Amino acid sequence: MFESRSEKVFVSGITIILILMSAIAIIPLLSVISTSLSSKSAVDMNLVTLWPKQFTFDSWAYIIDRPDLWRSFFLTLVTTVIGTALALLMTALLAYPLSKTKSEFRWGGVIMIGVVIAMIFKAPIVPYFLTVRGIGLYNNPLVLIIPHILNPFNLIIMRTFFKQFSKELEEAAFLEGCGYFRMLFQLVLPLSKAVLATLALFYGVLLWNQFQHPLFFLQNPDWFPLQIKIRQFITDDSVIMAGSASTADLNYNSRTLRAATVIFAIVPIILVYPFLQKYFVKGAMIGSVKG
Amino acid sequence: MKAIAFHRMKVYWPLYAMAIPGIIFLVVFKYIPLAGAVIAFKDYSVFKGFIDSPWVGFKHFETLLHHPDFARVFGNTLMLGLLKLVLVFPIPVLLALMINEIRKSALKKGIQTALYIPHFLSWVIVAGIVFDFFSLSGLFNIVLGWFGQEPVLAMQESDYFRPVYVISSIWRDAGWGTVVYMAAISAIDPQLYESAMIDGASKLRQMRHITFPLLLPTVLVLFLLEIGNFLDLGFDQVFNLITPMTYSVGDILDTYVFRTGIQQAQYSFATAVGLFQSVIGFILVYIFNRLSKKVSDGGLW
Amino acid sequence: MKARKMGLLLAAGVLAITAVTGCSGNAKNSSENAGKNQTESADGTVDIEVWGTNIGYKPVTKGSKLYEFYKEKLGVGVINPYVEWNGGTNYLNQLNLKIAANEMPDLFVPQQGIEDNLAKNGAIADLTDLLPKYAPNVMSAIPEEIWNVVKANDPTGQGRIYYIPNVVQYGRYGSMIRQDWLDKLGLPMPKTQDEYVKVLEAFRDKDPNGNGQKDEIPTGGREQARWMDHLFAMYGVAMFEGYPDWDIYDGQLTYSAVTPNMKASLEFIAKLYKEGLIDKESLLNTKDKWEGKIQSNRVGNYFHWVEQGNLVFENLYKSTGVKAEYSVLPLPEVPGYKGFYTMKKIASPQWVVKNNKDQEKLMATLKLLNNAYDKKNWKDLFLGVEGMHYTMQDGKAIKLPDDKSTQENQIINPATSISTLDMTIDLLNSTASEDNKWEIDQVTRNMQEAQKYAKPIAGDGLPASIYDGFPDINNRTLYAEYATKIIIGEYPISKFDEFVEKWNKSGGEEVTKRAREWYKKVNQ
Repeated sequence: MFESRSEKVFVSGITIILILMSAIAIIPLLSVISTSLSSKSAVDMNLVTLWPKQFTFDSWAYIIDRPDLWRSFFLTLVTTVIGTALALLMTALLAYPLSKTKSEFRWGGVIMIGVVIAMIFKAPIVPYFLTVRGIGLYNNPLVLIIPHILNPFNLIIMRTFFKQFSKELEEAAFLEGCGYFRMLFQLVLPLSKAVLATLALFYGVLLWNQFQHPLFFLQNPDWFPLQIKIRQFITDDSVIMAGSASTADLNYNSRTLRAATVIFAIVPIILVYPFLQKYFVKGAMIGSVKG
Repeated sequence: MKAIAFHRMKVYWPLYAMAIPGIIFLVVFKYIPLAGAVIAFKDYSVFKGFIDSPWVGFKHFETLLHHPDFARVFGNTLMLGLLKLVLVFPIPVLLALMINEIRKSALKKGIQTALYIPHFLSWVIVAGIVFDFFSLSGLFNIVLGWFGQEPVLAMQESDYFRPVYVISSIWRDAGWGTVVYMAAISAIDPQLYESAMIDGASKLRQMRHITFPLLLPTVLVLFLLEIGNFLDLGFDQVFNLITPMTYSVGDILDTYVFRTGIQQAQYSFATAVGLFQSVIGFILVYIFNRLSKKVSDGGLW
Repeated sequence: MKARKMGLLLAAGVLAITAVTGCSGNAKNSSENAGKNQTESADGTVDIEVWGTNIGYKPVTKGSKLYEFYKEKLGVGVINPYVEWNGGTNYLNQLNLKIAANEMPDLFVPQQGIEDNLAKNGAIADLTDLLPKYAPNVMSAIPEEIWNVVKANDPTGQGRIYYIPNVVQYGRYGSMIRQDWLDKLGLPMPKTQDEYVKVLEAFRDKDPNGNGQKDEIPTGGREQARWMDHLFAMYGVAMFEGYPDWDIYDGQLTYSAVTPNMKASLEFIAKLYKEGLIDKESLLNTKDKWEGKIQSNRVGNYFHWVEQGNLVFENLYKSTGVKAEYSVLPLPEVPGYKGFYTMKKIASPQWVVKNNKDQEKLMATLKLLNNAYDKKNWKDLFLGVEGMHYTMQDGKAIKLPDDKSTQENQIINPATSISTLDMTIDLLNSTASEDNKWEIDQVTRNMQEAQKYAKPIAGDGLPASIYDGFPDINNRTLYAEYATKIIIGEYPISKFDEFVEKWNKSGGEEVTKRAREWYKKVNQ
């Protein structure tokens, strides 16, 4: 295709702006990474800005060496993967009928209002606790998954995408005698990879970052997910009493460890994104129909 | 009549069957606990339980409305909510449109990934970064120094609070916000662009006349969802950015209810404030949903 | 093809659920083992559930090392689950959830005056008769006059004991000044406020740390105008770690934030701020930031717990190679005011005991308390488990550095809840090594010195319930806003009168009335 001069200027202008914004987005992260790679005294003296000072891997060595942290890491990984898969299924099952017209699915309007209410109104903590406890999720690791498998916000997003799904395709399938279940699983979902990827990301992050549920519902430290472990580091209110041991021989402190755990926890979820990105390619949906 | 209904069910029953698990979930995890919100009208005590705690009517709502600082707190909440809606909400749409123009796949992926990374830092960490940025030895004052300006401790100046709130919101969440829009853009039929190019439409025109209109239904839905949480600004962000010197512009319903309700375990009061926020949010969604149905066929229900 | 993929996903999901559920059965069992169901072990030890502060250490679980240690020392099994503290907020909410679910712990630390409601509802045990009978060590470890305050605090108004207070029997705080800087600049220890200001000026201008840069911070504090009590103290303002407190002003119990003393001190601090004599970032400093400044050899004078000084000195030495020498700054005299450092003997309620129907558990709880408050166990409880909390070096027990991933939470540690000067000094010295003797000696000397300026305040032991219905008074919201704005010069000092008026109107009057009634009751 032929491009005019002004087109090129337009595109390169946009590119430059975006690259600048990307830089602004990552620079502060660099300071966190640098803190995790700096010595205790450099951090104590507030010397670290963008680059590590008195470079050391000691904080990381400490983190990597903690079996309980790895346990939490893998537990969180497993619950996130299973939870995301379940959540996509649950969400699709409700979003699909909700995307239908009133003549096909008469409850649509009422349920949508119900979903919106469920999104806006938040249940008070005590009744929520007692309800979830009542269905047997107290001190039960399933609490890391079950309460998250349907999120009203995500449901509405998915429904919006389903609504924009090609009516012609569905009608054609319908005339061929295809039922709604087959329609959803064999036609609509395979052609909705972009939205599935989006919601997988949303649910994945929700599950990965959760701390409220384990905080209130889990007492057995074996089931603590990563975020709870990290909060143990981030907490600031350490009270040191007389006769406590000196920590001067260690080359890390709460601040460097905090920085290292923060990075430790976000790396996996950041790595996932590039894999999902291929589903965002323009025309992903139509292209697969043709092919 | 009956025959028609029977026929309907014969064809449509799978749709109803599909909806059942989701409905059960919503009832169990949302509506049953939500029934507990009656404690907003009671003096709830953990010893007496939901049934036996005494009714007090609108007492907790009156406490909220009669609080000497209510006008200030409510005003701040409205102001920040408005700023967020006007200045923060459109940014991801713009970003998505811009990212869409980049054709080099590797660069595009790199930019997207970079922009969405900050979302994964919790507000505690982000606030730490912001405070560092504005400290005497921070970048902000270094740059001021280049221009021969006196250093400014922005975090203790009330004038800076709102800009800091807006910019930190954009910094942390705008990139993440593009994800939905990128998905929506990817669903656009490429044939539309092909025919537009044959007609000689410029990039900018394509953006204005194809991408943006087709993105609009998604924008609208997200707008409706956003406005439902209009008074619910997110406690973590403000709580971590505020100092006593910026209370006058930064104290919002969320921070107020944390201090007076949650921190002291005053569940009835905290619930009452939550209901207040939610009811207003729902009314707003209701109004804007009506409006959006008038201007387009979209809307939530 | 696509359908098969989905099917696989589904199958995997279901499989995984069953797998996890299978596990969850075990988890439930083990937690029940740890919890209430199994009251008695094979050897007759009764387990009780204890809740308290845990800032990130491992929980104490059935059969763990610390559990066995407590069982041996105290004769009772202690289960201490991990409950996130988060400034007390998450702890309080989780405690309330437990109570709502009818599973109150057997022994726990109350928060935010929750003990009042607990006592009124008969949920916690009336200890008045139980303690002398079953836990006499608790009675004798705490002085009579403190028990009298506890009795006056009985929310049912019958003078009963409902909680065991946290007691500190000495002045813990001091204003630490760099003696080596004074010596270097040839300045004598300041006695009056004017001399003090001159010293701060010299610290600012004369490069006492000798690095050729004007980077010295004469003095300062932390966010919310906290940890700068020394600047308030010279005006006789009752101030506890940066929180205004209650003392006698004009012959009556009064909140120190609304007194003329406070006004005068704020005016003084604002002047220091303007002249760059306190850290410009004082009101933004987090704990980390402020300690970082002190430890990088830049701060001339700071206010903190004297007994933690050795950790500061050590870090300062390791970072900069300077063996700093600190002395306690005598309270600078201000004409017309009598200065003091606030001392609170009753820091807060330490323990409340569940009103257990299960007599065996109630007796076990009292037995635990009795043995924990037995003086001869204090040192051992302080040290904890060998190899986990301390190690033996040349026949001497040395505390190991904090390590949240290996150390279990030392929930029963009377050294923190019933501290005396002698014991604290003893603990400090008993764990000193050759290398850090210079620090410990300094701290010991300073601790003794600091006692001269400590004064118990009249509002000592005032229950949190006086703030009922006025959370923003309790939270010092208004005070923090006005004080900080006056200090940075955004508000003129005349705004202080507006603050007093607003404070009184927004509930301060009522709170003051309640506080004075309480005071009358205590001093009957």
